[in-house]
Amino acid sequence: MSEQAGELKLERLLADALRPVEPPESLATRVETTLSSIAQQAAAELSNWADELSEGEREALRDPLNWVRPVAAVAVGGAAAAALVLVEARRRRRPHGVRATVERRIRDLT
Amino acid sequence: MPGEGEASGAESSTKAPPADKAELDRAFTDLYRTHLRDVYSYAYYKVGNHHDAEDLTEQAFLQAYRHFERARRESNGRPLRPWLIRIAHNLASNYYRDRARRPEANIEAVEPPAHPHETERVVEGREELREVIARLDDLPDDRREALIMRFALGMDNREIARALGRSDGATKVLIHRAIKQLEELMSDE
Repeated sequence: MSEQAGELKLERLLADALRPVEPPESLATRVETTLSSIAQQAAAELSNWADELSEGEREALRDPLNWVRPVAAVAVGGAAAAALVLVEARRRRRPHGVRATVERRIRDLT
Repeated sequence: MPGEGEASGAESSTKAPPADKAELDRAFTDLYRTHLRDVYSYAYYKVGNHHDAEDLTEQAFLQAYRHFERARRESNGRPLRPWLIRIAHNLASNYYRDRARRPEANIEAVEPPAHPHETERVVEGREELREVIARLDDLPDDRREALIMRFALGMDNREIARALGRSDGATKVLIHRAIKQLEELMSDE
């Protein structure tokens, strides 16, 4: 038998030996049931989460007492940033280098 | 099944999932129905018994369901069968690694299918089939898996390449070598 004929025969044998296997019907039911329950649980959790957000968090957002903290945080942060900018500007205005340092030391001594 | 049984109930409910979720579930139902036999066949030839093959198939579809949206987005319209088979392949590998055991029944335990031929040819044919199945078990894992995908699932080179994470060329060579080696093993008998 030629090499090609042998290969073809083996391929035919493989096609016969490795036929698709039908899954049992109970498996289809089992997988469908599991997937359905997962999908339903996910949908229920999503609804609960949306409900919680609409009742609890929306109410909290409407209360002016809850606005004080964010406003205070912005004010404090802004002041700190301005102070940092001032300090940096003053530092830059001071002369640098060896000569400036020596002059400053002499001025301090006299 | 997601998008099916609950679909009619969900329409009348005020807490129905968003429309795109329902569409996604319907698409997954199609995928599941089209490829249940493929995944099961692969799992069966991989583990050699129906019980473990059922568990693996279920796990494979659950995992696929979790990542379906992303897989569909990233597939750019290409078939998702190689992705499913790859999931089953990885699960089968982990399944035995986690349990630190080999399949209880390997591929040698797989019975060749019945043939609609006349009696003498049936006997002769079944012997040859048994031999092929037995020798398949002597092949390296990747070669055996490529042959299962080609012959049991009817996948082409490109699909097998995607399932195994190889190039098309490397897959073609892999299958050619698998057939050659099997031929040699059979002629050694």
